[in-house]
Amino acid sequence: MTAVATLKSGKAKEGTAGEEVFDRELDDLPPDLRWREWMGRTEAVLFASATPVGRDDLARVVGQGASVELLIADIQSELTGRPYELVEAAGGWMFRTKTQFAAAIKAAANLGEQSLTFTEMEMGVLCAIAYHQPIDRAGLKDIFGKDVSRDLLARLRFKDLIASGPRAPRPGAPHTFVTTATFLMTFDLQTLRDLPDPGALNDEGSDKE
Amino acid sequence: MTYQPTVINDDLRKLPQLPAWVTSGRSETLETVVFRSGAVLTVLDMLVSDPAHGVPTKLLSNRLALSAAVATSKLEGRMAQEADIRDAFHLAQSGEARGPDGDLLAFWREAARVRAVRPSDAALFELVGPNYADDVEDWISTGRNRTKTHGPLAGCALVMRSVLEADDRAERVACLMSDLVLAEALNWPRLLPVSAQFLSKCMLRDLVGGGPEAALVVQGRLLEAQQETTRLAREFARRAAALRAIAPKLRAKGSDAAVTLFLCEEAVAPSTMLSPMIQGTAIAMTDRAARRLCDRLVELGVVRELTGRATFRLYGIAP
Repeated sequence: MTAVATLKSGKAKEGTAGEEVFDRELDDLPPDLRWREWMGRTEAVLFASATPVGRDDLARVVGQGASVELLIADIQSELTGRPYELVEAAGGWMFRTKTQFAAAIKAAANLGEQSLTFTEMEMGVLCAIAYHQPIDRAGLKDIFGKDVSRDLLARLRFKDLIASGPRAPRPGAPHTFVTTATFLMTFDLQTLRDLPDPGALNDEGSDKE
Repeated sequence: MTYQPTVINDDLRKLPQLPAWVTSGRSETLETVVFRSGAVLTVLDMLVSDPAHGVPTKLLSNRLALSAAVATSKLEGRMAQEADIRDAFHLAQSGEARGPDGDLLAFWREAARVRAVRPSDAALFELVGPNYADDVEDWISTGRNRTKTHGPLAGCALVMRSVLEADDRAERVACLMSDLVLAEALNWPRLLPVSAQFLSKCMLRDLVGGGPEAALVVQGRLLEAQQETTRLAREFARRAAALRAIAPKLRAKGSDAAVTLFLCEEAVAPSTMLSPMIQGTAIAMTDRAARRLCDRLVELGVVRELTGRATFRLYGIAP
């Protein structure tokens, strides 16, 4: 309780100093209106962000005691029937169009230059890194039977899907590659455990052949 | 120049030890498992709580963190080996991603620093993540109450079960909570990552779905883990004593700080942890001096090279 009190008094002082203070608590509103305002704020923050927003960041725009999870649940229940949804991804929440509309979005003209289209080789390298991380270029060469170009890796790194991991214990101490939180978000994974089981993948692959 | 290898003292009679009736044979029934666990925990508690026995507790908890990381990697289906995890952790440069294996070891090393006293540490909530933060207190009090009535082993099994019932993929959190309940029951200031060591995926699945037999299997494995930890604590006490005994013979600058580091870390990378500065101190050491010191410690027989590589070596007093 004392912590809250000091926080509030601290804010009051800032207010007198002339800066406009962001009112988290909204004490002057009746409870249901306050809740709606908090829902609105949460939704606005999520809408404005291209990346998932974590719990702590959302908690900063609503009152001290308000449960972010409950607010999210209320927003989600209002979104039924909409072509987009509010989903949990990479340790936060984000807005996303539903997958059933993927074809429609692809058919729209101006999406050709979106950064998240992959060549087959890029996809292959990304998969190899995801399953075998941390792995360096020599390790990738063992998998693909040929050198993986630095350009390709740089492209993946530019898209923030992979990052430098620990040094490989080989001559020259090359960097290994690991996947990033953006990778998880892009492929709709909560953790790396959501990657398809490699055993099951092999079975599917042999069916296709 | 060659050195006379140090004789590691084999006289373990001064240290508390497990009676033979605890270690011989398998525990079949609930009564024997619980009774033996009581005996093991008493000895383990004596070993780690009394500094007079000379058990390097930081080293012990870091080593247990590695074992726990290997075990939970298996539980989570990644199957990383001990060497992979150690490399991922120690070869990562500060500020760069460690990858999933290194992160897992970092998780357990962080866990070993969590205070096991009430009220719960903020670091604990950071470890379990925001999704479970609300449940942590419930889980702990469930385990605590069970510990009061049925003993720590039952408390550990129950808290694991409660966590896994909430989320069947939270194995590492389940093991962490079990360690926390154990540490609290024994009044340890910090937890030791004991529980995860010998558990398997299917045991945990049975624990959630099955009856008392499944709980007994898990408790049997927890008992084995406690026995192993006791053995490890005695082994480390002995090796630490050997290292402390030769420490005055080392005349290299900063050798005392390096010895202290070896008594805390289960793996020491000379090129990053001893030079350019000995980790945690302001004592400078050149690359070459660090390598020579490690080589000398190996020649003296108190430290082992852990990787078998010619470069990127890691040294530790691990048995």
